[in-house]
Amino acid sequence: MSDLQRSFQKSKLARFPLEPPMPLNSHLGALDEVDDEEDQDGLGGEENDVDSRMDTPSSPCSSASSTSTIRPLFARPEPRKKASLEPLPWSRYFSSSLHLLHEPTSAIFHAYLTSPTNNGPLFVMHHGAGSSGLSFALLASEIRKILPAAGALSFDSRGHGETRTPNDEDLSLPTLSQDFVTVLELVKEKCGWGKMPDLVLVGHSLGGAVVADVAMGGKLGGSVLGYVVLDVVEGSAIDALQSMQTYLSTRPSGFTSLSQGIEWHTRSRTIRNPTSARISVPALLLLTDTTQPESSDDSSPPRPWRWRTDLAKTQPFWQGWFVGLSKKFLEARGGKLLILAGTDRLDRELIIGQMQGKYQLVVLPEVGHFLHEDAPGKTAGSLVEFYKRNDRSALVLPPKVSDMYK
Amino acid sequence: MSDLDHAISLLRSCKPIPEPAVRELCYKARELLIEESNVQLVDAPVTICGDIHGQFHDLMELFRVGGDVPETNYLFMGDFVDRGFYSLESFLLLLSLKITTVYGFYDECLRKYGSANVWRYCCEVFDYLALGVNNGAVLCVHGGLSPLVDSVDKIRLLDRKQEVPHEGAMCDLLWSDPDEIDGWGLSPRGAGFLFGADIVKHFNHLNNLTLIARAHQLVMEGFKEMFDSSIVTVWSAPNYCYRCGNVAAILELGEERNGRRYRVFEAAPQDSRGMPAKKPVADYFLVRVYSTVWAVGHLLLTFSSNIMFRG
Repeated sequence: MSDLQRSFQKSKLARFPLEPPMPLNSHLGALDEVDDEEDQDGLGGEENDVDSRMDTPSSPCSSASSTSTIRPLFARPEPRKKASLEPLPWSRYFSSSLHLLHEPTSAIFHAYLTSPTNNGPLFVMHHGAGSSGLSFALLASEIRKILPAAGALSFDSRGHGETRTPNDEDLSLPTLSQDFVTVLELVKEKCGWGKMPDLVLVGHSLGGAVVADVAMGGKLGGSVLGYVVLDVVEGSAIDALQSMQTYLSTRPSGFTSLSQGIEWHTRSRTIRNPTSARISVPALLLLTDTTQPESSDDSSPPRPWRWRTDLAKTQPFWQGWFVGLSKKFLEARGGKLLILAGTDRLDRELIIGQMQGKYQLVVLPEVGHFLHEDAPGKTAGSLVEFYKRNDRSALVLPPKVSDMYK
Repeated sequence: MSDLDHAISLLRSCKPIPEPAVRELCYKARELLIEESNVQLVDAPVTICGDIHGQFHDLMELFRVGGDVPETNYLFMGDFVDRGFYSLESFLLLLSLKITTVYGFYDECLRKYGSANVWRYCCEVFDYLALGVNNGAVLCVHGGLSPLVDSVDKIRLLDRKQEVPHEGAMCDLLWSDPDEIDGWGLSPRGAGFLFGADIVKHFNHLNNLTLIARAHQLVMEGFKEMFDSSIVTVWSAPNYCYRCGNVAAILELGEERNGRRYRVFEAAPQDSRGMPAKKPVADYFLVRVYSTVWAVGHLLLTFSSNIMFRG
């Protein structure tokens, strides 16, 4: 990590508005009391999440503070007004939702799109395993706030969201990479683009492995200005696979409602930004037939909302997703940006590559694995800066020595 | 100076020093560094070192291979901290060694005149002395060249007493890398530039330099000369991050125009960390002829009272 990156982040932080005052009751006790309270009312730590407040001006947290009134110091705190856990529609964040038929395979890919204008770039996003295209909804709109000409394409990958393919179980890396190229070509055809716009590929987690593989494969040719991998490193990903089934088994198997699903994602801090959870979580769940009670315990309420993607079943593909990721990331053509959450946990290959100056590394503090959902504004800032640097049409390099003496 | 000696002995055994001592040390170091010009003239013989990154025991190994302070004059080209386990101890030790080696002249001025003013006047004169000698010199800089800087004199005009800006000459000097390209290129790091052989040779010719020594990039072999030996990368953190498997190097520039000599060394053995080990066999690479060294950068440390007197 460099001084420069730190000072850059610092200067960016300084531009964010000051935090709104905390609600009174969270000023009172020590931190652990606040935690207790959160357990009682079942609300995740959203009010303590700096990032969610900074990045989502419409977040309910900001209004909560202005409505709090002064109470006697030792009075029992009144129940906090609960923030909304209602789903938010995609249409606030993308201009269209497309169902794209791929005739040769009769697969139907579902994609969210806002087209680029005035030769702006298209950010093409691939989500991680178990997520959906809406994971990038806030990021897409934050990018367009900074760079209005930019477009954003985020699709539900095979086996996820509203995408339906003849073989939803095949989540092998070659298939996912081919899907990525296919979706782009279908969108290009549907929108009638004469040529592919300048592309910045963005992948989160498994999606990062897909974009590195796509970049290495070279099927998109010179349209790819650069690619961005969000919070995945080959070494640590492969280490983490051992405990993945254990992790998956600790997740609830279903929810009583979409709101409960949203609540679980924020309370478990899987997604720390409640606004983003309200947008992205509904697409992860499917309403199933509830006539067959799963549990013999009659007292438990039915949980008809089940996971759209059975992640445990994707285990045969896990190694294949990540083996060779660092090499592909370093060797493919185009600008390279790696954004990590919290701390750098680079593997040996990426440390050597970083210290030899082969790519750009950004570490975002105080975000979880879903860093683009937790801090969409900061992530968008890094992506737009990365695009501008790699935009060849704007690139003017100083003259070569031989040109100076002509 | 007994406090400083005490601090050094604690730091040499890789122990942290009390906070007030850190404060005093940093204050004193700042007082000395602030008087140094951007381009500091250093007399050979001097040993040039690259990135350290808080690998304290490997820094001790470096001193063992290269000779101890003040017997050997060292010039460190930056990146003392980050990723290693002992960034604080490494950096403070280097600072305190810096202070002891420069302090003699400072102390003398203070004793004879009762204030540091005379010392400051003399420091300014050293800058001008430095302007005179530059034949066949070596320029030391952390990163590399900048399209905004075509002469060593232009480096003198930069204001280095600030946080490194996101772009501009100072950023380039700290961030750029040489590469097998023609002219200038975009740095994949996200800041600074890539620069090719033509740029280096042109700059060296214009400034009467024979070599640019720089750090900033991990080199698995410890050092790497490029472009007909007109530039070298020196990396001084062996087995970087305790897992990269690289060796490290330092560059010794001789006094009597007797050349460059690289000493390559490995990480301090795990079992003898902090304890003296047997002297390793150092590899020697004799090359060419140099006498004058120019040091550039916002955090270069030159350990030599000579620089104060000889100019």
